[in-house]
Amino acid sequence: MLLAELMEQRGVLAAGEYSYRGDRYSFKGEIDDDMARMAAIMSRATSMSQHMQVGMLEQHCPDCGANPAQGWIVRGPQFTVCNVANVYAFLDNGKASINAVMGLMRERLANAPVDLV
Amino acid sequence: MSELDDLMQLPGAQAAFSNNDLGELLDHRIAEKSPMDATTLDLLAHMCVANMAIATMQARGWETSSQSGGFYPVEGFTLVGMQWSAVTNGRRGVVVSNDAADYEAAYRALGAVGSEG
Amino acid sequence: MIKRLLLLDGVVAVCRFRDDGAFVEGYGQMPQPELQALAHFAHEYKRIVQGNADQLAMFTNQRGWTPPGGWIVRGGRMSVCSVANLVCVIDTQEAAINTVIRDLTEAATY
Repeated sequence: MLLAELMEQRGVLAAGEYSYRGDRYSFKGEIDDDMARMAAIMSRATSMSQHMQVGMLEQHCPDCGANPAQGWIVRGPQFTVCNVANVYAFLDNGKASINAVMGLMRERLANAPVDLV
Repeated sequence: MSELDDLMQLPGAQAAFSNNDLGELLDHRIAEKSPMDATTLDLLAHMCVANMAIATMQARGWETSSQSGGFYPVEGFTLVGMQWSAVTNGRRGVVVSNDAADYEAAYRALGAVGSEG
Repeated sequence: MIKRLLLLDGVVAVCRFRDDGAFVEGYGQMPQPELQALAHFAHEYKRIVQGNADQLAMFTNQRGWTPPGGWIVRGGRMSVCSVANLVCVIDTQEAAINTVIRDLTEAATY
């Protein structure tokens, strides 16, 4: 299970998964159910937006290798959120390695569906 | 060397750019053999500004709702495409190949080092 | 018949798409590939607006934002407006946006 694997990474505070339909979410870590629901709603919205953006980039530059979107990262002063496909992780900037977490997520989710259904 | 030339020293750097508050391209560098062009970078820079704004809104909402801190003000956003990632701090950005991407280094180069980074 | 929307002043094109984003039909002063691209864009945009409405409802604890009825992007010369699975491109100056939205809402229930 990827969420459990992510939680084993140094500095990962929480990890979660959401459905693109918006009707389901699961999580592990230092957040409560309300926060996990909010995180799922925000992550889903951001993923939808990235999906559209790389679609536009592809139309602009078909050979650029943008499409399909794999994920996104939001970096705050203390915490970072990494998202690949429909899985996210909350990181403590002081302890976690974004590179390691993104590497693990991209490896495990390499074959995730890209049509957001 | 300029800040953009510094960004081009990052592993796998394909392009670097600076933009105004609207996202309009001000200056850019493109690596040899990269499929990127100025028009694509201009669109990408607009997306970077939009993504920073949305992430900032989310951080504000999240921190208010969860009565926590650590995300606001958002220091950086990364769009992870199929073959490359675009890392931005809202004013400058760098496009790096996913195979070689060092997100930590990119955020450092963009000054998004966090309070505990 | 969504084609009827083209009779309104300033309506340049109108398209219908399925819930999964597939193009159903499109009419107006745009070539077919552009109509298909418009439908594709509108489908993606609809999902983004839904995501933003979800966040607005979540952060404000107010009812009434979701599900969103539609969206309008107003440009200097052209605007785009969408209700349900229909999308219209209109001339910003010539079109009466209230009428377009009203007729889009009606056509969405056909």
